[in-house]
Amino acid sequence: MGVMDFLMQGFQTALQPHNIFFAFIGVLIGTAVGVLPGIGPMSGVALLIPVTATFTSGMDPSAAATSSIILLAGVYYGAMYGGSTTSILLNTPGESSSVVTTLDGYQMAKQGRAGAALSIAAIGSFFAGIVSIIGLVLLADPLSEMALKFGPAEYFSLMLLGLAAVSGLAGGSITKAWMMTVTGLLIATIGIDAVSGVARFTYDIPVLFGGLEFLTVAVGLFALGEVFKTVLHKEEDTEKVAKVGRVIPSRADFKESAGPIVRGSFLGFFIGVLPGAGATLASFFSYISEKKISKNPEKFGKGAIAGVAAPESANNAASGGAMIPLLTLGIPGSGTTAILMGALIMYNVQPGPLLFSDHPDVAWGLIASMFIGNLMLLILNMPLVKVFAKIIETPAKYLLPIIIAISVFGVYAVQVTTFDLFLLIGFGLAGYLLAQHDYPIAPLVLGLVLGPMIENNMRRALTTSNGDFMVFVQQPISAFFLVCSVLWILIPFVLRLKGKNVVVNVEG
Amino acid sequence: MQTGKFDRYASILFALLGATFLIESRNISKSAYGSEVGPNVFPFLLGLILILLSVKLFLESLKNIQKEKKKTDELQIKRFVIILLASIFYAGTIEMLGYIISTFLFLYVSFQAMERGSWIKNGIVALAFSFFVYFLFVVVLEGSLPGMPIWLS
Repeated sequence: MGVMDFLMQGFQTALQPHNIFFAFIGVLIGTAVGVLPGIGPMSGVALLIPVTATFTSGMDPSAAATSSIILLAGVYYGAMYGGSTTSILLNTPGESSSVVTTLDGYQMAKQGRAGAALSIAAIGSFFAGIVSIIGLVLLADPLSEMALKFGPAEYFSLMLLGLAAVSGLAGGSITKAWMMTVTGLLIATIGIDAVSGVARFTYDIPVLFGGLEFLTVAVGLFALGEVFKTVLHKEEDTEKVAKVGRVIPSRADFKESAGPIVRGSFLGFFIGVLPGAGATLASFFSYISEKKISKNPEKFGKGAIAGVAAPESANNAASGGAMIPLLTLGIPGSGTTAILMGALIMYNVQPGPLLFSDHPDVAWGLIASMFIGNLMLLILNMPLVKVFAKIIETPAKYLLPIIIAISVFGVYAVQVTTFDLFLLIGFGLAGYLLAQHDYPIAPLVLGLVLGPMIENNMRRALTTSNGDFMVFVQQPISAFFLVCSVLWILIPFVLRLKGKNVVVNVEG
Repeated sequence: MQTGKFDRYASILFALLGATFLIESRNISKSAYGSEVGPNVFPFLLGLILILLSVKLFLESLKNIQKEKKKTDELQIKRFVIILLASIFYAGTIEMLGYIISTFLFLYVSFQAMERGSWIKNGIVALAFSFFVYFLFVVVLEGSLPGMPIWLS
């Protein structure tokens, strides 16, 4: 069967009424998550895993996995649309990938062109979403074909590369990023060892035999951590929400932003495919490059529509591009995709090259649903942008306790133990303290998700080589990945020694 | 707390964490059927790496006696402590008091901690949320949550 047949089958899955419903709920919540400052895509997706798990509890496993991943991915790219709204109207980015949008977006709002800025952002995001899905369709098959030839040694090295990429770009201090990665990997070793069946670090406590649940850790670190932060720190007096005004952009606006949208989409897509570099980096790069090639760069920062169109297209394209390494190789390149991967594993669906042959309905259903979801977002965001702008005014005093209550509900509904609730609160506190002192959280979650797989592949590779560690260097592909990982660690280090500023990924 | 100071304590804590895994991994059986490398190797190596990284961070934190941009952020300690304690109480009593009562109590206390006043409105929101979630999950989706306590039903 060709790619088109698979895609058609995917549409058959995605167009089932309940899946359309899930996609709709996903993008709707995603937009809200993007609009609300304080909840980023990571905590939004983490928070919704248990909710979707309960929604899909009656279905058979494969269909349940498809429906939940459709919803969760919808939250992810929906947040990219919503993030622009607060950047433009409030000068406060809803999430980190929309930080650059504030530069020109808020200026446009001040000039009374908020509506045009918002709709160009939505159109750009839509175009970028479509570009990245087409890229996904074209690359999925060849990449997973290639990855099928990988042995355990190659996989081990590839996952190491994934960890290196995310840790290397994760924040101010590389030491801290690596510490978080290693801690995540260590936490993952708690529980019954999958290879030998030996219990590790459980001390005969029954709740520990299954290991620390990924869901509890992720919701605690991200969602509760952020809530605790907002509770502790006094919120600044919010600026006045700018008027939306005329939504339809003028012909001149279109002409000015067509180029930036196309360039931003392709740039963002390729940055998104790279592990470690996420939507935030993509939006920064596209803004900088637009400014460089612009005929009148002095307009940037004063309300140039290209300064809204390019980064908003780029961050959406990057979020689509980030799905490629996740789905085809089973390597999440960012915190949010790590959480998506954790969700898939919860349903016993292993992302990676076998996904396309073992669970074509999940993989292609998701891809097809992204087409539908992006279309919904465009429709939702153009006329309803004024409604979403209202969400900003949700009082924090209700929002924050309710987020805690949803976290508790979600974790308890899935785990049904009080132990996990205490664990949740503990990780929430840890998440707040760590994030407050520049310890990036995303590498920890990535380590937690990848830990068992890295270990299994390492041990399988070592078993075939009779315990000889040289096996990782002797296999050419594996050696190539290892060299890449080393370079990924060394290059920023060298640049820093030379006194250059290294762009870091705050989103993770 | 200043980041530099925090890093020093954190590096010691992480080193202890690494040491715990390192030492405890020696109690795991060394070889296992089906794999040349036993289940103890991976945690042992990771524990070692974590200790080394902690030492590096400790040294870095000593070197960085940087003038920290100390924003005297006014921390809302009181409302944070109330909400934290309420969360712990919530987690501890959810099975005893049942979902609706414990959730209502938690939300009501937290709403008041965030902003005092409007007793009735806060009560209605808290009650509506608890009932809505319980109804949706237990009645519509047929899931299971702790119901009302025995002495009430």
